[in-house]
Amino acid sequence: MVTYDDGGDASPSSGSGVFSRLISTHHKTIGLQYLWLALASVLVGMVLSALLRLHATWPDRAIPFLASIETTPERFAAMRLLHGSLMVFFVLTAAPQLGFGNFLLPLQIGAAEMAFPSLNRLSFWMTAGSLVGMTASFFLSLANGINLWLASASVFSLAALFSALNFTTTTIELRTKGMTLPRMPVTVWAWFVNAILSMLIFSVLLAGCAAVLSDRLLGSNFFSTASFLAAQPQNLVRQGSLPILWQRLFWYFAQAEVYVAMLPCFGIVTHLVATFSRKPVWKERLVVLALCGVGLVGFCVWGYHMFATGMNPYAPLVFSVLASSLGIPAAFLLASWLGTLWNGRVQLNTAMLFAIGFISLFIAGGLSGMFLARHDLARAAVSEEFVIGHFHLVMGVAATFAILAALFFWFPKLFGTRLNEGLGNIHFWMTFAGVYAIFMPLHWVGLLTQSHVLGEAQRAAIASAGSSIRTFVTLATVWTVSAQTLFVINFLYSLLSRKQAEENNPWRATTLEWSIASPAPEENFGKTPPVVYRGAYEFHVDSELDFVPQHLAPELPAEKAH
Amino acid sequence: MPGTTTGQDLELVIGKGNGGGGGTKPPAGGNGGGDDGKPGRKGQPSASKYYTGVAIGIVSILMFFMALASAFLIRKGTGEWVPVHIPGLLWVNTAILLTSSATLEMARKRLSNSDANGFRRLWQVTTVLGVLFLVGQLVAWRILAGQGIYLATNPASSFFYIFTGAHALHLLGGVCALLYVAWRNFDPAKVSRVVAAEVVSYYWHFMDALWLFLLALLYLGK
Repeated sequence: MVTYDDGGDASPSSGSGVFSRLISTHHKTIGLQYLWLALASVLVGMVLSALLRLHATWPDRAIPFLASIETTPERFAAMRLLHGSLMVFFVLTAAPQLGFGNFLLPLQIGAAEMAFPSLNRLSFWMTAGSLVGMTASFFLSLANGINLWLASASVFSLAALFSALNFTTTTIELRTKGMTLPRMPVTVWAWFVNAILSMLIFSVLLAGCAAVLSDRLLGSNFFSTASFLAAQPQNLVRQGSLPILWQRLFWYFAQAEVYVAMLPCFGIVTHLVATFSRKPVWKERLVVLALCGVGLVGFCVWGYHMFATGMNPYAPLVFSVLASSLGIPAAFLLASWLGTLWNGRVQLNTAMLFAIGFISLFIAGGLSGMFLARHDLARAAVSEEFVIGHFHLVMGVAATFAILAALFFWFPKLFGTRLNEGLGNIHFWMTFAGVYAIFMPLHWVGLLTQSHVLGEAQRAAIASAGSSIRTFVTLATVWTVSAQTLFVINFLYSLLSRKQAEENNPWRATTLEWSIASPAPEENFGKTPPVVYRGAYEFHVDSELDFVPQHLAPELPAEKAH
Repeated sequence: MPGTTTGQDLELVIGKGNGGGGGTKPPAGGNGGGDDGKPGRKGQPSASKYYTGVAIGIVSILMFFMALASAFLIRKGTGEWVPVHIPGLLWVNTAILLTSSATLEMARKRLSNSDANGFRRLWQVTTVLGVLFLVGQLVAWRILAGQGIYLATNPASSFFYIFTGAHALHLLGGVCALLYVAWRNFDPAKVSRVVAAEVVSYYWHFMDALWLFLLALLYLGK
């Protein structure tokens, strides 16, 4: 840790080598590293999901790659876990918060750096290490795999804690002059609230992981297996203990992760909808309050999972009420998005399409969530496929849409060029159709196959219908996954065919990151930090002005807003 | 806030500070507190981010222990629970830790009176007391092990070891931070030793209070 090394990455772009980039403490470099990590994970995770579907639909066919490793149900479960771990930890958690957040948070609040840059670097490398660990755990024997997975999850939690510490402190301490709390962009609010939420839940997760790991390795008795299994629903226990432990533990974490993944996406979508409707965020204060509400509910729901699983008869009811009460802030957010779109001069470019796609998926997934929030209904009438359909729609796919929206929007600031709009449009529509074709039928299958009210004959009839729907779902999966090659082509093509300098503010947006060059220069704002004079969403404030950037002094608004 | 320096400067100095640190949570922030040349709000060196950092870190650590504490309380009701008889040595250790907090405060008072030697001496006493506490905890473990009570013996013993172990680990981070503040040459134009000592003192007192809470939990909750 020589001082000179750290100083050296002041200009890594000017060819000081890959190594100094890798060990950089600079927030933009680290943000990009997270995004590359997420890109790699999402591609692998997506291929895994296609393989899983293919295998589930045609279990007898030998599928290359799958044939060699898939011999037992445990391997299949392990593969699902790998898919889930990659997607949830390294895509949904890493990209919107750690990737875009690290890159953009200091830019949007007018800071030169995160509060603790070295800690930031440590977080990234711990995250990368946990990615390696989780992937490796798939190739180990089951028992060793679980141990390694748990250890990796602990490392990830610790890294998330360090990141959250950094995000929170940066937002509190490093805002530039004039960047008061009400003037913070909603994205910054979302990252901030999410960091606080992460701070609280990842400590709990770390404690849980450490305890379980100690149970497994050192023979301690925090959650002894016997009493743990006794607390689980019978239909899960009968299939044998190990995969259940494996799966249940995963969902333990996933419940809180939902909110961690969604919060920054809410911020991104709010931001984009306002920018491309050329209107201020409708009821901005309420949106910020709603974000805090989501954080609060997210924390409480997590608490339920940690403290009460299978122990308190009233707990499912509490959970039910809490999970339903998520609907209130969610409804506020939805109202605000629609209110912003209302009468807006909407620009339907690819970033906006993905943002609107997010809203659509959020509504669709949210509606089925209302069924699941009722604890009695969920157990009675709904099978796993309904749940899979629900959370993929509302969490996985919606969040991915927000990530893609953010990528299309901030690509000029990240790389100094725009993604191709034509390819982006085709990619959006193919993906949008594809994900609905996958997850809507899964809801139906889930409802059909689990109807206890039906007789045996009717069930048999349904089973055949169900299997053809499943085949359709599998084909739709293959279609959607293939459609992503368009994105990869677009991504690589845009990067490689970078031409002359991109304009500073191609979207005519208001926030501070657009006041500097594209791609963002190494020193952010240079020697003089920017000064903020107004709120983050001053679009179309009167008929003359389309927008007023945050850094524009009140005296001369007409001059700069072209 | 106002008066942010350029990215390079910030990276340069913080990078060095953290790199030298132990890698534990708040100490890492505290270590970074070593230097940072920014003139902050109100004209003082902008140390406020270290205060914020250590405060947030404390909340986070508190959540970690609260999760374990709630697991402890719930697990206690599920049977197969054989309470651990707390070794008497723990009371001695507690006294040592409380004393260390007192000497830390005395050291800081010397420092603010610019009595460098007095500070150094008392700071060293604090560090030694911290190490002594850790050794005492180890001896307490040996005593329990001698009675045949191990981590795996029963749920109560598992919790006893994880509470004391996790606390000891965090306190070890605190000892590293103490050493760091004592050994580092602070540039007076940047963040002063006074600030670094204060940030570390928050963490140390928190560890102290946390230990009292854990002890009460283990003693009363058995």
